[in-house]
Amino acid sequence: MLSERELTLGANAQETLRHLLSVWLDFERRLSLIPIIRRLEQKTFTPEDYKTLLLNLRPQVIEGSRWISRAASSFTAEFAEVRSLVLRHAVDEHRDYTMLERDFVSVGGSLEEIQSAQRNIGTEALAGYLMSESSKPNPINLLGAMFIIEGLGNKMASRWAGLIQECLGLDDSATSFLSYHGKNDEAHLEKLYELLDGQTSADKTAPEIIKTAKVVARLYLLQLEELGNV
Amino acid sequence: MPEPPHAYITSTGSYLPGPAIGNDEIEDILGVVASKPSRLKKRILASNGIKTRHYALDRHQRSTHQNKQLAAAAARQCLQRAEIDERAIDLLAVASTQGDLPLPGLASMVQSELAIGPLEILTTHGVCSAGMMALKAACNQVRLSEKKNSLVVASELASRLLKKSRYEAATDLRIDLEAEFLRWMLSDGAGAMLVQNQPRWSGLSYKVEWIEICSFASHYDLCMSCGTADQSLWAANITSAAQTSELSWQDYSTYGRAEAAGALLIRQNLKLLEEVVKVGVDGFLKLINEGKIRPGEIDHFVCHYSSHHFKGRILDLLKLAGALIPEDRWFTNLYTKGNTGCASIFIALDELLHSGKLEPGQVVFCVVPESGRFANAYMKLTVAAGRNVSAI
Repeated sequence: MLSERELTLGANAQETLRHLLSVWLDFERRLSLIPIIRRLEQKTFTPEDYKTLLLNLRPQVIEGSRWISRAASSFTAEFAEVRSLVLRHAVDEHRDYTMLERDFVSVGGSLEEIQSAQRNIGTEALAGYLMSESSKPNPINLLGAMFIIEGLGNKMASRWAGLIQECLGLDDSATSFLSYHGKNDEAHLEKLYELLDGQTSADKTAPEIIKTAKVVARLYLLQLEELGNV
Repeated sequence: MPEPPHAYITSTGSYLPGPAIGNDEIEDILGVVASKPSRLKKRILASNGIKTRHYALDRHQRSTHQNKQLAAAAARQCLQRAEIDERAIDLLAVASTQGDLPLPGLASMVQSELAIGPLEILTTHGVCSAGMMALKAACNQVRLSEKKNSLVVASELASRLLKKSRYEAATDLRIDLEAEFLRWMLSDGAGAMLVQNQPRWSGLSYKVEWIEICSFASHYDLCMSCGTADQSLWAANITSAAQTSELSWQDYSTYGRAEAAGALLIRQNLKLLEEVVKVGVDGFLKLINEGKIRPGEIDHFVCHYSSHHFKGRILDLLKLAGALIPEDRWFTNLYTKGNTGCASIFIALDELLHSGKLEPGQVVFCVVPESGRFANAYMKLTVAAGRNVSAI
């Protein structure tokens, strides 16, 4: 739920948000067809699946904190609002991987194993793209990337955490990474919507934001399709 | 190439069998399964909001009508209000979830009931969107000038699936929420429309601006079905050969065995229902993004769902994205006429046309989400004045 304070957007931002929602709904649909997510939805998910998922997520989470810090440094003063959001975001999440490691250990994995996990080929593509975009001056298009990644946290993480707990007989402490994002990404998204209002002009930035959301959605799917392919 | 002429819905009719049945009378008609009143009934009725509906069954669960008769009754009302003679009908398109007979098609049976033709017929079979499929085909025939006066009928007689003996006969399984849910949702009725290439001479017509139908069956599992004891066995990633020789009701050695196994019960996967709303919203956003509809131009929103299905995040996001249709624009007769599957939108548009609420130029936007295996239909109509008025 959005907070009590009523947020209203201008016509351009509304149009951008409608396109982003379309990108999101398509992404969510394709996500449900990825074998590991499908097993989760069908409740045929195993402890091995969970470990595989965590092993493959950790490199992306580590890379995530790098690109977002890089992006923050690429904004000039005229984009101070966006920079604040990105910085706050970087601070909030740059130690996230420790939660992920704890979860891995709590289901019987070893710390050494997860700490030495390599990027799969999907993660390579995702991290490479985000790092390259983050290095460009004023990468406002990354609002599209954040919409997808925060959206995953906001819309999917709690649900997945619940399903994982149900399938594997675990409690909240073994899904701390997913549970944390399920609870905290709403605030990030709300701030993002506000920024859309300030930053989107129909002619230039909006198409870039939408395109970036599409690319990130596609590469995130690739990462989940290529589990273990390092 | 010049734009082909538009199709107009120039007359409508509907038929609901028997008296209106209130919530506390449902089990008087459908029967009390195994003499135990349902525990789920109240909860499901509270969530769908339906207050009255109609059944083509008497109090002993004997059929009072055939589906073809419901269809024909709606068609007759539509033709009585039409400005043409029934002999001028050149296409009969009939939609239903299930005809009276597995074969031939329901359109054949309705044609014989109406005693019209010889003419071209079309039967569409599906769930809620089947009516829109028939309507679109009829509109396109008129637009192509292949036909002048197409009669489209959508008719449902679901109650035959819902009577107590059906559940009692499923002796091999415990009746769960999935199998019981639709018992408190569906009811009987039919609606009809006449499609022509110009508006009525006198009185209002609907101009059909466009109809879009999109199915997502390869992305989702079965959500509503009849004919299998286990919907999950039809999942896209399961190769049917590997599973069981009793996948479809027709695979059982006798139909009696299929019924005992629960393969003839009508089922709804409730967990997947939320996805139907998402798919519906997705299609709506695409139409906005393509410029086919603007939320602000909609005067009457006719949806096969009631507004209370749109809750939570998706509602917040639609609102934020300026794509929420205000509640006072929603038109529904779901609460009094019941959920009559593919006939619902026809029955709603019939009531709206005669409600006195329409003015020429107004935009009517219709959405028919189908949960069977995720197919959605959208239609934009504008209200057209009579030619006698526009001629002045």
